[in-house]
Formats: sequence, C-alpha cells, structure tokens
Amino acid sequence: MVMMRLSFLMACFLAAGGPAGASPALEFFEDKVRPLLIGHCYECHSAEHKIKGGLRLDHQAGWETGGDSGPALKPGDPAGSLLLRAVSYEDRDLKMPPRKKLSAAQTTILQEWIASGAFDPRSEVPGDAANGPTNGKTLPAGALWSFQPLAAPPQPSVKQVTWPRDPIDHHILAVLEEAELAPIQDAPPEVLVRRLFFDLTGLPPGAGDLTALGPESYDTLVDRLIGSEAFAERWGQHWLDITRFAESSGGGRTLPFKDAWRFRDYVIKSIHHGVPVDQMIREHLAGDLLDAPSGADRARQLSATAFLALGPTNYEEQDKGVLRMDIIDEQLETIGRSFMGMTIGCARCHDHKFDPVTTRDYYALAGIFRSTRTLRDYTSNVAHWIDRPLPSDPALEKALHQKEQQLASLQTELKQTTALIKKRSAQTGPGPAGQPVQAKDLPGIVVDDSAATLVGPWKPSTYFPGHVGKGYVHDEGAAKGTCTATFLPQIPETGRYEVRLSYAPSPNRAKKVPVHLLHADGEEDLTFDQSITPPLEGRFVSLGTFRFEKDGAGFILISNEGTAGIVTVDAVQLLPENAALAAAPPHPENPSAEAPLQDRQKQLQAEIKKLQTTPPFQPETMGVEEDAAPADCAVHIRGNIRNLGPAVPRGFISSLAIPGIPAIPPDQSGRLQLAQWITHPQNPLTARVMVNRVWMHLFGEGLVRSVDNFGVTGEPPTHPLLLDLLAHDFIKDGWSLKKLVRRIVRTRTWQLASLPAPEASWSTRLATDPDNRLLWRANRRRLDAHALRDAILTVSGRMDTTFLGPNVKAGSIDANSTEAQTLEYSYVFADLRRSLYAPAFRNRRLEIFEHFDFADINGPIGQRTRGTIVPQALYFLNHPFIIEQSRAAATRLARLHPESAEPHRRIDWLWRSLLGRPPTPAEHRQALEFLSAPLPPSPSPSASEEDRWSQLIQTLFATADFRFLD
Amino acid sequence: MFNRRHLLKSTACGFGSLALAAMSQLQASGPPLAGRPGHYPARAKRVIFLFMAGGVSQVDSFDYKPRLAKENGNKRSFDDARTVAKTGKGAEQRVMQSLWEFRQRGQSGLWASDLFPHLAERMDELCVVKGMHTEGVAHGPATLFLHTGTTNFIRPSMGSWISYGLGTGNDNLPSFVSISPSLGNGGPRNYGTAFLPPVFQGTPLGRTGLAASEATIKNLSNPLLSNESRNRQFALLQGLHQDQLQRVASSGHQEAVEAVIQSYELAWRLQNNAPDVLDLAGESAATQQLYGIGDKPTDNFGRQCLMARRLAESGVRYIQVNYTDNSNNPAWDQHGNMPKHKDHAMAVDKPVAGLLQDLKQRGLLEDTLVWFGSEFGRTPYAQDNGTGRDHNPLGFTQWLAGAGVKPGFSYGETDEFGHLAIAGKIHMHDMHATILHLLGLDHERLTFRHAGRDFRLTDVHGNVVKEILA
Repeated sequence: MVMMRLSFLMACFLAAGGPAGASPALEFFEDKVRPLLIGHCYECHSAEHKIKGGLRLDHQAGWETGGDSGPALKPGDPAGSLLLRAVSYEDRDLKMPPRKKLSAAQTTILQEWIASGAFDPRSEVPGDAANGPTNGKTLPAGALWSFQPLAAPPQPSVKQVTWPRDPIDHHILAVLEEAELAPIQDAPPEVLVRRLFFDLTGLPPGAGDLTALGPESYDTLVDRLIGSEAFAERWGQHWLDITRFAESSGGGRTLPFKDAWRFRDYVIKSIHHGVPVDQMIREHLAGDLLDAPSGADRARQLSATAFLALGPTNYEEQDKGVLRMDIIDEQLETIGRSFMGMTIGCARCHDHKFDPVTTRDYYALAGIFRSTRTLRDYTSNVAHWIDRPLPSDPALEKALHQKEQQLASLQTELKQTTALIKKRSAQTGPGPAGQPVQAKDLPGIVVDDSAATLVGPWKPSTYFPGHVGKGYVHDEGAAKGTCTATFLPQIPETGRYEVRLSYAPSPNRAKKVPVHLLHADGEEDLTFDQSITPPLEGRFVSLGTFRFEKDGAGFILISNEGTAGIVTVDAVQLLPENAALAAAPPHPENPSAEAPLQDRQKQLQAEIKKLQTTPPFQPETMGVEEDAAPADCAVHIRGNIRNLGPAVPRGFISSLAIPGIPAIPPDQSGRLQLAQWITHPQNPLTARVMVNRVWMHLFGEGLVRSVDNFGVTGEPPTHPLLLDLLAHDFIKDGWSLKKLVRRIVRTRTWQLASLPAPEASWSTRLATDPDNRLLWRANRRRLDAHALRDAILTVSGRMDTTFLGPNVKAGSIDANSTEAQTLEYSYVFADLRRSLYAPAFRNRRLEIFEHFDFADINGPIGQRTRGTIVPQALYFLNHPFIIEQSRAAATRLARLHPESAEPHRRIDWLWRSLLGRPPTPAEHRQALEFLSAPLPPSPSPSASEEDRWSQLIQTLFATADFRFLD
Repeated sequence: MFNRRHLLKSTACGFGSLALAAMSQLQASGPPLAGRPGHYPARAKRVIFLFMAGGVSQVDSFDYKPRLAKENGNKRSFDDARTVAKTGKGAEQRVMQSLWEFRQRGQSGLWASDLFPHLAERMDELCVVKGMHTEGVAHGPATLFLHTGTTNFIRPSMGSWISYGLGTGNDNLPSFVSISPSLGNGGPRNYGTAFLPPVFQGTPLGRTGLAASEATIKNLSNPLLSNESRNRQFALLQGLHQDQLQRVASSGHQEAVEAVIQSYELAWRLQNNAPDVLDLAGESAATQQLYGIGDKPTDNFGRQCLMARRLAESGVRYIQVNYTDNSNNPAWDQHGNMPKHKDHAMAVDKPVAGLLQDLKQRGLLEDTLVWFGSEFGRTPYAQDNGTGRDHNPLGFTQWLAGAGVKPGFSYGETDEFGHLAIAGKIHMHDMHATILHLLGLDHERLTFRHAGRDFRLTDVHGNVVKEILA
C-alpha cells in the first residue's frame, strides 16, 4: 500500500518538475523525508488516516501550526523541535512513533532535514479528516432548550374541563387532547394505596391499609406518609443515588469510609426536616464555608461536604499529579450530572462536541477544586481523604476530655511498666547483653543473618560477642551500594508485629543504615544508627510496629547504600503485638520474676484497647478544605497533566453567565460562589433537573427521559411547559421537596390506572403512543432492589426499624490500615435494617443489590437500571435470605391467623400483604391445590404444613406481580 | 400461543424443551444476549484468559536477555516506573540476572527459561509478545487497566464488552465467566458492566481463597428442598405467572412479565445444567492428570483450567481463569523474594500446558484464543538492591495461543536489559483491539452511548497488531 502511494506521489512530482532541475533540498526531501513521513507518521498524522493530537504532518502548514502542543518543527533548530524530541524517545511522555522507535539512520535524516531549514514542497492542504479537533465548533448556548431562561407558562385550555384537578393536569390533558387521546380511568383504591405507600415510603401497605379512601382521608394519608421517617429514608435513598454515596472507595485498594454514614444521616435528616433543596446543594459544595448559627448547624454543614470526598478514588495511583486531576474530574462530573444534568467531563480533553461547555470552562471549574483540598497530602504512597473533627455538644466534649485524660494516664503507666520489664529483661534476659544468644531462646520470630539472603561481599565475624546465633556479617566499610541482606520472616498468623534489628555496635559503624521494609499495608524506608549501643536489652533497635500477613510477601532489607562506616547485620526479630504471643521463653535462672509486671502490662493493654474502642468518640466527618494558596488551573492539553496550556481564571460555564454572582476572590477557592451559581433562581438547569428527578420517581419516567442529561444528546422534554411550571413553582415554594411530592400525588394524572378496565380496548392509544410519553395512563413500574428487600422484611415482620445511625462499627476502624479491607472483603451482611442502611461497600455489595438494578455505585445513579436477568431468578429460587424470610412470614401468618383449617383467610392475607390485592379465583384455586397436595415423604415430620406455607410465600415473592407496581 | 402450564404438565421433566421454545421466541425479538455476528468474520469464537495477578517477570520466563548475566550486580541508571511516577526522574539500580536458565525450544527455537518446564515444551504453539507496555504502576490501577482499559474511571470490563458485541454462544450458561476472581485490586469492577446493561455482567464462579472444587455459580440450588418439592414449587410459580400474564394482556405491559417468566425458565435450565458442566468427576483419570489434578501444588489451578475447557466446550464466550489472592501484593508479586516465583510457576505450569494440549487434541484450539498474562511485568534490576524485582509496566511479555494467531512466533522486543519495550510495542489498548479483532469486532465500532458520548474499550487509542495474526 505504502509503496503504491509512494510511486504515485513520485509520478506527480516527476510530472511537476522533473529530477533534472530539482534542488538538492527538494531531492533530499523526496528521497528521504517524504517516504519516512509517509511510512511512519501519516498513519496517525494525516488527513488520509487520522489526526491525533491535532497534529498533521502531511503538508507544510500542518507542522508549522502544529498540534495541541504547538509547532512540531523549528526549521534550523533540530534540538528545539518537538518532532525530533519525540522520535529521539528521550521524553518519557512523548515517544513517537509509539510502536517502534525509528532507526538511528532515520532519526539522522529528520535531524539533517530540520537543520537544513526543513524544506517542504507540500504547500497544498490535503482533504479534511473527519476527526479533526473541535475547537471553536462548540454549540452556542442559545440553541439548547435547557439553557433557555425559566418562566412560568400560561395555563393551557382544555376541552374536558371537569377532569383536571391541578394546573399539572391541565398541561397533561392539553397535550393529550392535541394528540386526540384521552386519559384512561382512575386507579382502583387498592392500587392507589400500594402505589402511594411505595412511592412515598418505599414500603408496602399492610393488608388492612387497602381500603377505599375519600378525598379527605386520602390527603390525611398523604400527609401522614410524607411526615413519616420512612419518607425521609425513601427519598434520602434517591438522593444518595445521585450523590454516588458509598461507604468504601472501591477502586484498586479499597478503603472503608468510616464516617460516610454521617453524610447518609445528614441527607435523611435534611429531608425529614424539610431543608430546602437549594440549601442542601449549597451545603454539599460549600458547607464548610457557610455561616453556622450553632455548633449543631456547623456539624451538619460540615457533614454535607463529604459529598465531595465520597467518590471512587484510586488512592493507590502512584502519579499523584494524575490522581489530583482525576479526583477533580470525578467531582466536576458528579456535580454536573447530579445537579445540572450536564456532562462536563467531556470537556477535559477537548471542547464539548455537543454541549455549550468549552475546555476553558472545564479548567475554570477545575481551578475551583484545585484550590480545594480533598486529600491530606499529594505525596503519600497510598493517599488519604481528610477527616474533619465535628463540633459536639458540651456534655460530649466533657466526656471526650475525661476519656482522653484516662487514656493518657493508662498509657503513661503502660510505658513505665514496659520500660521496667525491658530494663529487667536487659539485666536478666536470655543471656546478658554482650553474650551470644541463640535465636530459639528469643521470643517472637527471629531470623538470623545465617538465614538471610545476602547479596554482595559480606564478611562473617564473631568479634563482637553480643550477637544472635553463630555470628554476624559486616561490609568492611567498603563495597558501598552493593551489599544487601534480605530477611524473609515466616509469619505464623496475620497481625501486627514490632520489628527489631540486632547489630554489632561500635563508634566506627555507619550512622545511617538504610532499611527497606515491605509490610501488609505498604512500604517503609528507614535508617538506624549502628554507632550506638542497641537501646533494647543492649541487643536490639526497634523500627516500629507493622502489620504482616500470614504467608505474605513481607520482608526486611538492610543495605549499605550511601553509608559511611562499617555496616553490620546480625538478626531480625518480629515480636507480635499481642502480648500472649510475645511472652519470652522462661529464663532458666529466674522463671517468674516479672510475672506480676507482665500481668499488669497485659491488663493495661486490654484496658486501653477497651477504652479506645468504646464510646464516646471524637466525631469526625469526611470533608474538604480550602487550599492555603488558591490558584487558577492551566488548561491540560488533551487532558494530559504534563502538557499544560495557559491558566484559566476560576469561574463557571461561560455560556450560563448569571448576573449578580460575585466574582471569585483571589484568596478563596470559589466553591461558595459556585454553589450560589448552581442554586441561583436564574440558573435554568438546576430546578428543572431536580423537579424532573422527582417526577421520574413518581411516574417511572421523567418529563425529560434522560434524567442525567439535559444536553444536546439527551432527550428533549415531552412537556416543556409543564417542566417549567414545576420548576418555577418549586423555586417559588422554597425548593421544598415535600410540597412538590404532595402536589404531584394529589393530581388526577398521578392517580390514573395502569391496567385497562375490563372490556376496555387500548389499541388506539397503544398504537398512537406505545411508550406512554403523553401520560394517558400510569406506567407499570418495577420496585428497585431497596424496595423489594424492604417489602420482604415488612411481610416477614423481621425488619429492624432503627432510624439513622451507622451500621458498620465506626470508631474501631482505622481507614488507612488494610485490616479495613478485610472488613469489607469478609463482611457478613446480617442486619435486617432498611436497605439504605446496608453497608454500601463498592467492592462487595449486599447480594440482592448485585442482581437487582442497583446499578453501579461508582457514579451518580439518576435512574436504576431495569434489566431482567437470570441471577434475579436464581436469587428468588435459592437464596437463604428469601428462604428464611419466607419461613418467618409463614410463622407470622400462623400467629395472625391460627385457624389453619380455613386457609382462605390466610391466602387472602398473603395476596394483600405481598401483592396489594386480593387473589383472583384462579390464583386462589392454585394456592389451595398446592397446599392440599399429598405431602412427599419427608425426613422430618415437622417439615410439614408450615413448610408448605413458606414455599407458597416464597413463590409469591418470586412472581412478577410482587416486583411490579401497578 | 402455547399454554405454559399445559406444557409443564404434559412433559415429565420438560422444562428444558419448553425453555428452548421460549428461547427461540426470545431470540426472534432480539434479546440482548442472543448470539449475533460481529463486524467481520471471526477467527476466534471464544477467549480463555489466564490472569497471572501480581506480575510475572518477563526476564525470568520468556524474554531472554544475556546482557543481564554479563552485567549481573552492576549498577546502572534506569527509568524506574515507580520512581518516575513519584519524582519524574530515574534512579541507580543493580542489574539482576535471571534466576532460571534459558534455552531455545522446539522447532520454532523460541526462548524459554526453566521457570515453566511444561510450557517450555509447548513453545511451538505460543505467540509470544515481548513488547507489551501498559498504564498503572501499582496493582490496583494496572489491574483495572488490563480489565477495563482505564486505571481510574468506571468503565465496562473486556468480557462485558465482548458479550455486548457478540451475545452469548449458548443457551444454558452465562456468556462471560470469571473463575475464582479476587475482591482486591478493583474486585468486581474487573468483571463488571459499568454503564453497559446488567445482562452483560460477568458471572463469578467461586472466589479466590475458596477451593476451586467449591467454585460454583451463586444460588444454584436450594439444599432444603427435595427434587419433588422443587418441581412442585416451580410448577406453582409457572401457574401463577400464567394468571399474572393474563392480568396484563393487551395492556402493553406483557413483555415485562414475559421477560420475568423467561428469566425463571433460563434459571431453571442453568440450575439443571451448570452443575454438570462444572462437575469434573466425569473426566477421565488421564485428563485429570494432564491438568495436574490430584497433585497438591497443581490441583487447584488444574481444576480451574479444566473447568475453563468445559465451559469453552459448552459455548461460553469469555472465560477468565484467575491465579490470584485477596492481598495487596497478589501472587506473583515478588518484591523481596524472587525464588518464590517458582512456587507460583509450579502451581500454574502443568495445568496451563495441559489445557493447551487438551484444547488442541479436541480441536478446540482452532477457534479458542488462549491469552496468558499479568497486569505488568517486573524490573530487570533488584528492587532496592535486594533479592526481588519491582513492578514494570514499561516493557513485559504476554502470550497468546490458538485461534487466529501465529504459532511458534515471537514478536516485539525490549531493550538489552528487558526493561523498556522498544520495538513491536503493544500497548494494552492494542492488545484489547487485537483480541476484539480476532473475535470479529472492530474496537473502533464497538461503542456504547452513555452520558452523552460514545464509549469504547480502547477509548481513543488502540491498533490491531496485524503482525501477529495468522
């Protein structure tokens, strides 16, 4: 291919000029340079193929203008030319061609070409490639419906004037009448009650709640449900979905978020107490910067900022510059999607292809979060989020102070006791200091130098007598940087161990001997001084206490790199933190002199541990902080952190300028101003996005069906005027979620039936509007995983109804230890609280969430996924949770209706409790048949009647009707 | 329209045939898992990916570098990936030779060390790629990159993309299975769907730490019920569903109920079929020995590999076999103790060689692509001048075998030390593109629209490595 193309080009060239008259520069270009460019560069840098990084090498102006990183060539200056730097493979981040380095001869050609002025006859611009850079092609804001200002629409007129109950109904009916469709009949009372209970509280009605309701009693029921804690839990869950709430980071090395539950509580309480939605958003983004009238207000506002820290961060990412920008990207993407229905993330690498968001806008926003601290530091091997102490009430402060004092005094005593034990054991320990001792006579795990892997010219010695084993090794003070000794202790049991080293001290020894330590939670680079007498028992120096895994990869490596003086290596000792394991072998001469002291030591350790793990605790929340030096962020060309363009002043999406938003002061991040901008009544997106989300939860679909995407690639609203009416009134009503929900569930539209009345035909309606976009009926909806599990627990009567509070034991978790990962990996999901309290780990979910539409909790979930998949069926057929709850429900049923001779009442109760309706005659008959069929021979005689009821209940749980809402 | 209840009652054990009928109906209307052709004819029908978590050392296994022995112990400056990520600079390191002897093998004369003695005998079947490079210096990011094409963003896994592209190759089993996966280093994200529909989720078989003999699909049976009770309960469910279907007749809601009914029928067939597929007892003693089953070091991974072959035979599209654990320094991660590589090699060598031989003798290697590799390789120098090797994403070796790739072929190279890929470079994106290509999928056309833009496994990167295609 290349050859053919080449000869074609040569033919053109020959026709144009002819070789006889060609200048040497032209000849050189055609002979050497052009074939090279075609063969190695055009594949990614020509109009014919692709234009990567915006760079074209298929004509002169292409390299003159250059790509995203600027001009590719400086004629006459090979060293200053990007092209040469790229092909030289010297720049780590710019190696071209990427698959194979050019040969030295080829590089020389390019070098000569550039040095001689880079003569290039290719003045014509070959045809445009489809995937060129999009700069300057971003859509103008005026063209997008969702960017239009918000205004209250006039009420449309309708023909069927008696039907509407609320202006909402007018809008729905007007559109239906225009399409020559009519709404169907109202839902029957029991359907309405079940719908109301699930939509408002996420819980099913009881068998006795399914009665017809007059208008007044309906309103009373609505108010009761909206006022209930269950309402706050249900709508809190919706909020947690869009804020991608989770209790661990997931990603590479997952870390549990010990205080994430405070954010969950903040959300539930805010909804319960009717905190306006715009205020909640401001608190999420800038709660730490808002005025707080009281300590309690301050505490809840700080808890709200956990929103910015709860993402699926890969704390282990080694390039912390990348990590920092990835976190910012996640924050922007979440804020954009959750609150404004915008996909801001696209603009990280190029101007948004569809929406009015430019790369400049992206980095203007990124500057706000670059001026906000989300990690403790940007250097740690495994990074860590920020824990902020929460103000607490005076009584708790006092209790905490007392606890601290108590702890301090215990710790002092422990220190003294330990010192005393050490002092005595130094005197009376296994062999006096200065005498050899055998490894087996020492407590813990001891690895002698004879068992270590030695690299380099170590010399054995016994000159210094106080060694472990037969002797030790030293480097003669020479061969620096070539000697290492690696100790691989066999760890019998996973746990924390104190690492101690033994060496032969002397004033001529090295003062800074490097030790590299790999333990279960990471790596350490330490040094220790061999010129002084070992501080412990005259024999050991302690490096600290670390966690090691059974049969793990942990090791201790001593090196002589960069040392001055002799380095000696004798032995490594690992003492288990657990005192019982650490107990030294009894010393023959003095068997139990230290027993009382050791007892006291153990007692003190136990008391301290107990005190540390029992309340009260200093309450903390995850959160963010203002950076000490706020600064604007440079454009990262193609999103690359090593290819920076000009800095962009901090700001917002420029096509959505709102008058009256204060400029960002130089000494602030801009989060506060961002929060004000997002929640400003003139921001056309936020209120529209929020009311659409509420509508979606109550109808199954939004007026804008792409609930997270109000951009060009999203769907336009089916009822734009209604959406604006709702958004307008929402702002007018003080962004009140409860008022909005109450209003919608009282409309005629919401109360429509979803199934046809007997004898009714839907063929016209179905043909005209099969997707029910115009809302001529109610949608038949699926219960999500939370509602399913909560309904099962309601029927079985086993639900633990504890409101608020943590579910994973907090306080005892050190989030930076991998014990915390074990917590997630081996967590047993056993509690029976409502599903929103189930530990929301990212790598390990409560199983029902894996199978049922819980979607991916790594990102905001606007709408649960709705797949019907085989694991769901297997879950209902065989999972122990379903089986156990079915049995519990059978027991409950037997207690409620003891008269087993008359199964009718039981069957009726079951259908009402599980499906919200009485059984049809056919269902009733099938249930009776199942219950009365002859029992198969069973190993256990008691496995009898209740088993059958429990199987019937399990089968009902498994049916389609249990998981659908009419 | 057939009557399910009638059919149920008229056939003694007839759910299978009923479900088959339902299945063909489903396929007619195009359910997401129905098998479908790719963008162009496929060379491979399925993939078995043998994931060696932690990082196999290329210079101790397949990438022969005589210079390491010559310079053993010398100090040189290297662009150490970890140091570079943290400081932007390289560092002085001590060259460390291979711990295992290298020799040329077979007709092809491909180099292999004695680390994998059984595999070394099968070099004529392997297509060894030595110019691999990837993203991510730590296990978590690099493992996620290997599986999802990104170190940090939430993206679908490769098996999910393939299921999305091609549907399932069978009616009884999932299309994408991961045997004994780890919870660590991304855990479920490595077989997750992210924003693709949930039906493309990988099905885990067991988990790491659990014996392979216990590995099965979740919730496959209810041990409390006799077969008879189980059948009666299922018949009741089918009967009730029939009535529930009637309730929504001609309301536009029937399809959703049908889907639920069909999910139960498929579940029923799965719980009847999967245990047989996963039961290795029917395999001959010779076959079991071939995989090293019964010998302690190889028993566990041998079972996993044999299970993989049985799943491949049953038409599962993408089968991942995991050699890993739940720790932060998984399996092959020998920072301090290079000789320990031998223990891991012992555990996988015979089973993997056995798998290749077994696939070949059954003719399955013709249309099965076997892929062997880690999230990255290891450095040719000692970490901290010690006795282990650190991570190396800049140059390492993987191999492919079977459908569509050149056998007994070596492609690409690293520098003289085996550190940086310099020629025939294959980025992990390229590997993804190539494997999709072999399955008949164009990695640039296999896209899914989410949050307003089209996503693909290879993002905006990736080139099919034509040079290794047979």
